[in-house]
Amino acid sequence: MSSVALPAAAVPARDTGGPSPGRRRQGQSWSEEGRDLVRAASGGLLFGVPLLYTMEVWWLGSHTSPGRMLVVLAALFGILLVLNATAGFRRSRDVTLVEAVEDSVKGIAVGVVMTAFVLVVLRQVTLETPLTNAIGSVVNESIPFCLGVGVARLLLEGDPGMAEDEGGADGRGGGHGAEDGSDGSDGANASTGQSDEASLRTNAADIGGTALGAIVIGLSIAPTDEVPMLASAMAPSWQVVVVVASLVISYTVVFIAGFSGQDRRRQHQGLFQRPVTETLVTYLVALVVAAALLWTFQRDLTPADDLLTRVIVLGLPAAVGGAVGRLAL
Amino acid sequence: MTSRQPRSPAEWASLIGSAAIVFFVVALIVVQIPGEDRPAAPTARVEDVRRVGEAFHVEVAVRNRGDRTAAQVQVTADLTVGEETSTAEQTVDFLSGGEEQQVIFVFDEDPSSGELRVSVTGFAVP
Repeated sequence: MSSVALPAAAVPARDTGGPSPGRRRQGQSWSEEGRDLVRAASGGLLFGVPLLYTMEVWWLGSHTSPGRMLVVLAALFGILLVLNATAGFRRSRDVTLVEAVEDSVKGIAVGVVMTAFVLVVLRQVTLETPLTNAIGSVVNESIPFCLGVGVARLLLEGDPGMAEDEGGADGRGGGHGAEDGSDGSDGANASTGQSDEASLRTNAADIGGTALGAIVIGLSIAPTDEVPMLASAMAPSWQVVVVVASLVISYTVVFIAGFSGQDRRRQHQGLFQRPVTETLVTYLVALVVAAALLWTFQRDLTPADDLLTRVIVLGLPAAVGGAVGRLAL
Repeated sequence: MTSRQPRSPAEWASLIGSAAIVFFVVALIVVQIPGEDRPAAPTARVEDVRRVGEAFHVEVAVRNRGDRTAAQVQVTADLTVGEETSTAEQTVDFLSGGEEQQVIFVFDEDPSSGELRVSVTGFAVP
């Protein structure tokens, strides 16, 4: 198969894991391919969640003509083609046009599936929703999702060398304590003390990062009518679905998607630094932030028994923001 | 020109799966094109009447029997008991082709003791 080489202009030279820097890796294993697609989905979520809480876009789906939907998809494909040649969701960029086309198809598929998934979780697409309405909503809402897929690598990709330096400098890295321990005769005690201090600092950083990210994402959603509107139509059993989806998304973005801070995070030491525990604790932080934002914008007044549902509804984007915040710190 | 290694089974699987999803979405959009010309035709019918406390709730299904979307669908319910007529109104923001939504009218009188009429009195074309 002949391939057309893409121009290398404006292509970041860094590569965080590919065998040949700056080039798209071929012959990927199932786990590598799966992780790339999960990273694409995560990038889409980070970019697309705020628009998913916009009722005008839900309604737009009911009167978007098929022709307009096809134009939107074609435009998204074109934009993704350019993004995949310069950024994309792989750990290394696409080199040939064929690769960029393939990844653009995958990007649209991931964007559409993730959009449909979140719309189902939010009960904006149900079995009773007319097909025209559902497709229109998914296509319109998938615009930011697909753009997020296209810039997933750049979205949270730090300089890997810098990340390693930071891991060593702040005492978070697993090997740092061992190095300290070999420096002096009372190294064991010093190491334990420093380890406790580093652990405390890491826990505080996680909570702070989660809260900051949750505030940034939740701030634009909390004052709107969408939160009480979604909450009022949500049965208790479906609230469990939203909670589980929030936890899965948070875990996936931080520990599976392969963003730059992932390996460093897996080496963190501390009371709740295990991935599952950290996900649970930071989700609680996101819920607290969601409740505080609802209180700030006076969205928690009546009815009081609906408050928990609203916190859970706002907790989903807050959890996404919290995941970003933790990776960014 | 850049040499290229053969795709792995994982890459083939994700490519085929993704292409199938995109093809499915495009096909769902394309099949809607022939039927999009029928104008919106919202109608209303009484689904259920039930007593809730001192009031009577009349559940009305509003259905668009056309293909095009109707916006700001005005639904009116008139309940005539003896000489007196009570009127209630509801608005459905958007009703896409074939879509059905439920609205509830609340009356103080029992609809079974008089004549109840529900109708769509107007809508906007978005």
